[in-house]
Amino acid sequence: MALPRVGGAPGYVVRRLLQAVPVILAIVALNFLLLHLAPGDAAQVLAGEAGSASPEYMAQLRERFGLDQPLWLSLLVYMKNVLSLDLGFSFRHNMPVLDLILQRLGPTILLMGVTLVLSVGAGMALGLLAASRVDGWLDTFISILALISYATPLFWIGLMLIVVFSIKLDWLPTSGMETVAAFHEGWARVADIARHLVLPAVTLSLFYMALYARLMRAAVLEQAGMDYVATARAKGLSETRITLTHVLRNAILPVITMAGVQMGALLGGSIVVETVFAWPGLGLLAYQSLFARDLNLLMGIFFLSASLVVVANLAVDLLYTVLDPRIQAA
Amino acid sequence: MMLARSVTCCLVAALAGLALMPETVSAQKRGGTLVMLVQPEPPTLASYISTSGPIGQVATKVYEGLLEYDFSLKPLPGLAESWTVSPDGKTITFRLQKGVKFSDGKPFTSGDVKFSVLEVLKKLHPRGAITFRDVTDIDTPDEHTAVFRLAKPAPYLMMALSGYESPMLPKHLLEGSDVKTNKLGNSPVGTGPYTFVEWQRGQYMRFDRNPSYWKKPAPYLMMALSGYESPMLPKHLLEGSDVKTNKLGNSPVGTGPYTFVEWQRGQYMRFDRNPSYWKKGRPYLDRIVARFVADSATRTAAIEKGEAHVGGFGAIPYSDVKALAKLPHIETTTRGYEMQSPIVQLDFNTQRPPFDNQKVRQAISYAINRKFVIDNIWFSFGKPATGPISSNFAVAGLYTPDVQSYNVPNGIQIANTLLDEAGLRRGANGTRVEIVHDITPYGEEWQRYGEYVQQVLAELGIKATLRHEDVPTWLRRIYTDYDFQLTNNWIQTLADPVIGVHRLYHSKSIRPGVVFVNGSRWSSPRTDELMDLATVEPNPGKRAGFYKELQQLLVQAAPLVWVHELHFVTVHNKQFKDLIVSPLGLYAPFDRVYLDK
Amino acid sequence: MIDVARRFLRSRSAMLGLSILSVVIVVAAAAPVVFPGSPFRRVDQPLLPPFGAYLFGTDVLGRDVAAGIAHGARTSLMIGVLATAVAVAVGTVVGGVAGFYGGRPDDVLMRMTEFFQTIPTFLFAILLVAILTPSTKSIVIAIAVVSWPAVARLVRGEFLAMRGREFVVACVCLGMSDRRVIFRHILPNCLSPIVVTGSLIVATAILVESALSFLGLGDPNTMSWGFMIGAGRTFLRTAWWLCTVPGVAILLTVVAINLLGEGLNDTLNPRLRNR
Repeated sequence: MALPRVGGAPGYVVRRLLQAVPVILAIVALNFLLLHLAPGDAAQVLAGEAGSASPEYMAQLRERFGLDQPLWLSLLVYMKNVLSLDLGFSFRHNMPVLDLILQRLGPTILLMGVTLVLSVGAGMALGLLAASRVDGWLDTFISILALISYATPLFWIGLMLIVVFSIKLDWLPTSGMETVAAFHEGWARVADIARHLVLPAVTLSLFYMALYARLMRAAVLEQAGMDYVATARAKGLSETRITLTHVLRNAILPVITMAGVQMGALLGGSIVVETVFAWPGLGLLAYQSLFARDLNLLMGIFFLSASLVVVANLAVDLLYTVLDPRIQAA
Repeated sequence: MMLARSVTCCLVAALAGLALMPETVSAQKRGGTLVMLVQPEPPTLASYISTSGPIGQVATKVYEGLLEYDFSLKPLPGLAESWTVSPDGKTITFRLQKGVKFSDGKPFTSGDVKFSVLEVLKKLHPRGAITFRDVTDIDTPDEHTAVFRLAKPAPYLMMALSGYESPMLPKHLLEGSDVKTNKLGNSPVGTGPYTFVEWQRGQYMRFDRNPSYWKKPAPYLMMALSGYESPMLPKHLLEGSDVKTNKLGNSPVGTGPYTFVEWQRGQYMRFDRNPSYWKKGRPYLDRIVARFVADSATRTAAIEKGEAHVGGFGAIPYSDVKALAKLPHIETTTRGYEMQSPIVQLDFNTQRPPFDNQKVRQAISYAINRKFVIDNIWFSFGKPATGPISSNFAVAGLYTPDVQSYNVPNGIQIANTLLDEAGLRRGANGTRVEIVHDITPYGEEWQRYGEYVQQVLAELGIKATLRHEDVPTWLRRIYTDYDFQLTNNWIQTLADPVIGVHRLYHSKSIRPGVVFVNGSRWSSPRTDELMDLATVEPNPGKRAGFYKELQQLLVQAAPLVWVHELHFVTVHNKQFKDLIVSPLGLYAPFDRVYLDK
Repeated sequence: MIDVARRFLRSRSAMLGLSILSVVIVVAAAAPVVFPGSPFRRVDQPLLPPFGAYLFGTDVLGRDVAAGIAHGARTSLMIGVLATAVAVAVGTVVGGVAGFYGGRPDDVLMRMTEFFQTIPTFLFAILLVAILTPSTKSIVIAIAVVSWPAVARLVRGEFLAMRGREFVVACVCLGMSDRRVIFRHILPNCLSPIVVTGSLIVATAILVESALSFLGLGDPNTMSWGFMIGAGRTFLRTAWWLCTVPGVAILLTVVAINLLGEGLNDTLNPRLRNR
């Protein structure tokens, strides 16, 4: 990954971010057009949910939502607003899009962050372990475990965990982010949220952990055949030392890349896991707003997601330079 | 227009009311938190702007209506302690409860009634324009009297005054609206084909509690005054602002037994006990929390584990209800939906072949095995439907089983004969015709139902392809573009046929872009006439006669297949008592619910 | 080539994957013979438990679950293979052109690829299926649309690396047409990572199809494993076999494809040959 040498590291970051602006704007415009391809509109959904509605009521709704405007005009207005970081108004929720997104951002980051840490940590450890006992029973066991957790549909794992750990064993709550009847405060609330976090985080982590474990195993094995490992071994370094200080440092690069991609998906949350565990994340919000044709909200989420992808890509590139001094970002 | 001078006619049954709502509180205990499963999460709490099902389950704990109803759909006192109807049916006087306060502390007065009905419900409520069509004005001679003036008698109106259908709104919160709104507020609305009636005191009847009332038919307006249908709103919070965007929509202030505390989107809504509720000693619960859980299996698990205490309207899948009912701490009931009366249907596009032919439509109706559908798709929660009006209306005398019956053992055989007669001959491969069958996107069971119909049609030689689109797309296809042949569907026939049934069959309800109206586009002059007559007929016997003929004509013409009357189930934890005490069910205010551990 | 084949045959996991997949393919191929007629047809009482009159019992409408599994294998495999074929074709062309020519075409194509990668994958698939109406075709399109950018990035990387190799430079100097250089010389050399990625996409496609069905976005006219799970999931606890049987079918197939992919990776990836 060779990067051009212009200015210092901060200059590089600023330049990359500036370059991203037109890209993100183009993405916003494309998203806008894509979403407006969908048949039906928000007024129809609201009226449909209402059970019955007069033509006057429908016309009122359309006027209020700006659905009576031509498409190109709406696009221009929307682009103008996005430039001033105004993500618009969700007519369905009767709230600014930004407020809605911010409400869900905390739980989303909590779930996805814990998942990221859990899955990267456990995945790397398992991958390393498997690679160090290549073709042994431990390697086989880890590989099978990873394969099965990758190949089992997520919702199935989730529902089974609820049946076992909530209903049968009564260890953990079935769903939600906290015990709503109690309204805990302070540390009791933190503990309560942590208990609610266990099942969804584990469900989601199992899937990603499988990916990281396999990636790590392959990368470690690939590095193990390199000349520098032979050199290190010739120097008389212990196998553990070689693995931890030399191999790991190089093998971690593909894992970081993958984690960057996962970061990009972070804002999208996980629709399936959020559905099963009633976790108040952005994924479910986006999913529901699609079916309500709450396009402003959906576009807001897409916009944030696109921005995050840009930032994540940048972060990965910078991390590369830290881990591998041969790659330069300055 | 001449209005008869008022004759006091006392209608409200104080004794009957007391008998139905026992004040003995020995069993009831204070305290406890009820967790309701509400699915899906409501888009807003403005029950006066949207009637989306889940809104009614939560907003009715805060807003009340002028009336409540008993299981035989008779009006009971709500915010109105009594009422009288003039002999010509054109004036209704409500005496309001005294000492009622909105949850922000301001008193509830007749000004709020007038404001709620005329300024908000009639203009903004999706059904309000129909419900209050004939209400030309409301007099407020004093703070505790509201006089409804009607352009013509409206026997259905009494069914629309629940807090669900017509919530009463606080005028003081709405006051100060834009010019358009103010203008309408000061002069009676003359949108209908009726002349404006001036305020003339004495052209109405006083209303006091009278046991003899219960033997009279409830005019339809009286059915729409519950807190669900017609919530009473705070004028002081709404007036002078745009009602549609007023923040009251997301943080309601009403007169009800619970006050709104917070709404964590995607998680829950919290309502705490209203300490200054006008019914002394009520409510018993400290708190109600509405939880939103998107997955049905998880909802079942939450009820089973006791994390949530009640779920209705299909929140718990029918397949799980039987298993839950066996648990010692769970109780199930199908009561509390008498004012919804949903009917499961198949809707034909009667303007397009092959279903423009009455014989073809009848054939399909014969071929559907109601028992199989009820037993296997809705797990026995239903009852075969005979026609457009639910048998729940039998108590009101509006239902008749005396119609052509399609629910016969040899249905397939009759259907094949009819199809032959209609000229749809089987081709070389045994297929008569190919159609597309749309599936209403409201849950799993509709897919199973579609798959069942597909198999039945295959037996008749009709090759059906299923199409499953999302809600907006489907609504547009059925009610705007009419680009369909056959779709499954379900309609709530609500508290009175005028409110819930006419919209499906009247020629005036063929309105592109309006959802859940006459999408089949079948109509006839005689059925139109019968519906128009029944709308204004105050005599219950004559009204029943019109509806009998209407049912017979509609069933014969078969613009739809009425498959079964759907029974919703409420599943709740036995620790909570007196949950379902009226036909409003989960739409009731829950002031009588108590926790008994 | 014979050497590669021998190595492949020696790999235990690859052989296991191959045998499971073969069974699935045989079942799929035999479905119309063993279970003639529509798998949506009612055969008996609803919810008969498995291992009685019917191998896997009957579902809520009295349909034979085993027939559904056999017919569903056809759909699930078809969706996986078709979606992958489209994704790999589009991804290879886009990535190949971008990597071979570089400069402006590379810029334009990569910006386009990035656009597709900024929308969360599964949400994007749902969006496409919702807009296009749920059907096998729209599911294939949706999966292909969300899968091709990964292929494009991979192929571009490979092409960039190959572009500088001596043999490519030599070909260009000899005046070979671009098309010939790309198809005859570069592409064959980056086939192995494409094949391995492709096998993963097939597995992912089957999982995505089941997740779409879980959310009620499957094709209502075609029997697939995802459809069966979607239809059976409300009976997860009352009739366990409705969800479990197709779930296990998905699990086995995805595992088999992955094992096969790994086997291919081990045999095709030259750097791991002598580990």
